[in-house]
Amino acid sequence: MKTLRKKDTRVPRRPLLWLAAALLFTLPPMFGTLPSWVPLLFLIALAAKFWMEPKGYRLRSLIWKLVFVALILSLLFFSYGSLRGMEPGVSLIVLLTSVKILEAHTAREFHIMIMVAWILCLCGFFLSQNLAIALCLLIAFALLLVALIQFHRGLSSAFWPPIRIAAKLLAQAVPLIILLFLFFPRINTGLRFQIAPQRGASAGFSDRLSPGSVAVLANSSAAAFRAEFPDGKIPPLSAMYWRGVVMWHGEGLEWKAPAGPAALPRTSQGPPRGEAIRQWITIEPHDAHWMFALDWPVNSPSGAVLAPGNYLWSNQPIHKPRRYEVTSYPEIPNNRLHSREREPLLQVPASISPAARALAQSWATEKPNPRAIVNKALEFFRTQGFHYSFSPGQYGKNDLDEFLFHRRLGFCEHYAASFATLMRLAGIPARVVTGYLGGEYNEIGHFFLVRQADAHAWCEVWFPDSGWERVDPTAVVAPDRVNLGVNFFLERRAATGQLDNTQSAFARQLARWPIFGRARLGWQTLSYAWDTRVLSFDGDEQASFFASLGMAGHRPIFFIVGTLSFATALLTLYAGWTHLRTRPGGNRVKIMYETFCRKAARLGASRNPSEGPLDFSVRATRLLPNESERIRRIANTYIALRYAPAPDPMMLEQFAKEVNAFVRAS
Amino acid sequence: MRQAAPSKSRFPLSPTTSFAGLLFVLVAIWYAASSQNNAASYLLLFALASVSLVSIPWTFSNMGGLQATVESVKPAFAGQEISLAVEVTNGSRGTRYDIAVALPDLGDAHERIDEIPAGKAARTVLRFPAAIRGEHEVGRLQLTSAYPLGFLRVVKQLPSPQRYVVYPKPAGEQRLPAETSRSGQSSSRREFGEGDDFAGVRAYVRGESQRHIDWKAVARGQALMTKQFTAESDGLLYLDFAAVRLDDLEARLSQLTLWVIEAERARRPYGLRLPTIEIPPSLGEPHLHRCLHALALFK
Repeated sequence: MKTLRKKDTRVPRRPLLWLAAALLFTLPPMFGTLPSWVPLLFLIALAAKFWMEPKGYRLRSLIWKLVFVALILSLLFFSYGSLRGMEPGVSLIVLLTSVKILEAHTAREFHIMIMVAWILCLCGFFLSQNLAIALCLLIAFALLLVALIQFHRGLSSAFWPPIRIAAKLLAQAVPLIILLFLFFPRINTGLRFQIAPQRGASAGFSDRLSPGSVAVLANSSAAAFRAEFPDGKIPPLSAMYWRGVVMWHGEGLEWKAPAGPAALPRTSQGPPRGEAIRQWITIEPHDAHWMFALDWPVNSPSGAVLAPGNYLWSNQPIHKPRRYEVTSYPEIPNNRLHSREREPLLQVPASISPAARALAQSWATEKPNPRAIVNKALEFFRTQGFHYSFSPGQYGKNDLDEFLFHRRLGFCEHYAASFATLMRLAGIPARVVTGYLGGEYNEIGHFFLVRQADAHAWCEVWFPDSGWERVDPTAVVAPDRVNLGVNFFLERRAATGQLDNTQSAFARQLARWPIFGRARLGWQTLSYAWDTRVLSFDGDEQASFFASLGMAGHRPIFFIVGTLSFATALLTLYAGWTHLRTRPGGNRVKIMYETFCRKAARLGASRNPSEGPLDFSVRATRLLPNESERIRRIANTYIALRYAPAPDPMMLEQFAKEVNAFVRAS
Repeated sequence: MRQAAPSKSRFPLSPTTSFAGLLFVLVAIWYAASSQNNAASYLLLFALASVSLVSIPWTFSNMGGLQATVESVKPAFAGQEISLAVEVTNGSRGTRYDIAVALPDLGDAHERIDEIPAGKAARTVLRFPAAIRGEHEVGRLQLTSAYPLGFLRVVKQLPSPQRYVVYPKPAGEQRLPAETSRSGQSSSRREFGEGDDFAGVRAYVRGESQRHIDWKAVARGQALMTKQFTAESDGLLYLDFAAVRLDDLEARLSQLTLWVIEAERARRPYGLRLPTIEIPPSLGEPHLHRCLHALALFK
């Protein structure tokens, strides 16, 4: 081995171990967000360090270091195509750290590694911000403190004290952190570096409903959003249709939403009917514009519009958790549909087969009433052997016939798309709505967790008398999906052997245990609190927080100076307290002895400044014969405490007792 | 001689080199957090800043109850190393960690003490070069600690009245004068300096006794000259300042130092005669140090 020469290493072993442990905890956010070889190389480098450290090896040759760096750069370039953007940047930091680990051997390099580790914590937060990741990074943060403390304790080998001290430091820092977090102004510097987060398909649906696009989400337990009902008015689970996007443009089994909808004109609809349902929704970042609300939202939160079709559309892509309030009504009558608007709502692609056209036509000629046509269509789905399935096989967008007349196996998107197309063929204006259905109630945190697995697609048809109305063909085919939620549906499928997914079956089995269930609910609540209380507290939230305290309108410098002076005051208080607590024992003895002298002086035996404690006690015993025993004891203890090489701590307590008792007895 | 500086002249808290790193990390996190408006990054920023701030009282309390004393210092020759034993006493009720002991007035020598348990003391030895002969003051003892996190250090300076002596560097080309005996005939037994018989004059050397200056010559307007006398030697070796034929004072003292050591090593009783002091001939360690001490302090 040419590059690894023997050399005495000067990094203390123990702090290095703590540092490596901390680095391990910066890894989790990298898995799943960076190419897996990046964290893997990092792990290998850490392992290599542990192997090299006892042997005194390290990477020394400049040439090899350069080779490694060149290798890293080219690997990154090959896997990303460019080194710009956040993820290649983070990967670069991670990989350069791996090389640095192999090289590090001095105390100075140890400190550099600590700094790099903190930057890695930051990178972790850029990659993912969910509660689990945050806890990992908190552990990493604490372990870095432990590493530093251990470094400064030198060869002291006790295991727990550095951990205890790090915990105390963190605990003491908490009030300061809260103060800074709430009040330190979030100045938007306008210095923006471009991030290009690449989230997987699990992050939600797209602006296009194609066969299979919802089914892929069915096994994703990732959270989509959480909803609270502050007024306590909770609709039944089967009516909990969370409106996402309205798709107007149908092409058989594939439907599309407009790319950038305009705002809905205020006057275009009548007054809402029914009971208003207020919701607080905390949405997980999905890097798109969707925002969700129960059917039918009537107002739009700031930064979003209410698009035609009554759905919410954020002006900016949602890159971080956002909390908003929205009010929905169960019904919005809208019976004015202009013929100009009506026409596009009846458009179908030319590729629709004559068989499908004939089917729809037969309903339309049989029953002139639109409601009767809808019922006829639902009847068709119910009686003609249609089945609800997560894996209905591949369909193309022109496979409407295949679905309607042959395979008759589909997931909600197949039913919604085909139903809407058939309605249009029958002369009834129809559209497809995608969103979520149902959710899981968390009884600890009192909120609903809506997962990606709850994704759903349904139809809306227009009736001349009442306007748009929801029709969910899936409810006809698989009523349990709507009434009980997707989890129960999956469970039942698993129980009857229709779902070949042992792992999720095991997980679901586990989820039935009450303790596990409670723990899961608790975790969800914590996660919800993290999202709503911490992550969503950004510059805008802070501004409204200041406004709620009546402090709006101050310049940022006011808050900077304010928080820093408050922090200084807090620190000074704490420093004073620490000083009092840890002042040297000798001083305390002296102070107590002076108290004793003052008390004696009040009784008529004042001590001369030049008088030694022994002489004084002799004189004081003569002057205060009643107290002679105690005075003699105090003098002896005092001398022992001050001049004995290692006084017994018990003695100090005894001394304090005697001095206190001195005046009370008199 | 250096004066001990007042011990509370400077603010006790100062940044370490890793403070610069911390500052860089904080600014980087702040930049990233503010440009992304990322609350989690802000949390990291505030956590790091708060923990660093909260560690300051810890650093201060880690200094509480510490006293340091310099033990008596063994003299050394100029050019050698001085070993200064320092005892740091922990009079507090808690263990103290990572105490650096330094002598700010005497170069950058420093030693680290990992741990001092409550009520105990730790001893460390500081080594630094003895540069200039003479008696010096230790001046200040500086205790520094950056415990627990190492971003800021607390400096405690304790005045130390302890003095130490640096002997002149032993050096010179001249040979040790031969022993002068009562029976000797040669001129070498004649010792210049103080005696009865006038032997001539030579140029006055600063620092010499003024008793033998040829004042009459001065009155005539001549330069300062010293009258020289010879005395009968008592047969013992006298190492005489005046007998060293060198112009430079330090070189003369170095030569004398070398002679003293050689004479002691050769077990030849020797005396030292400086313009200011005369040490009667003797032998042994105390005598040696007495002579060297006189040489060190000579002005």
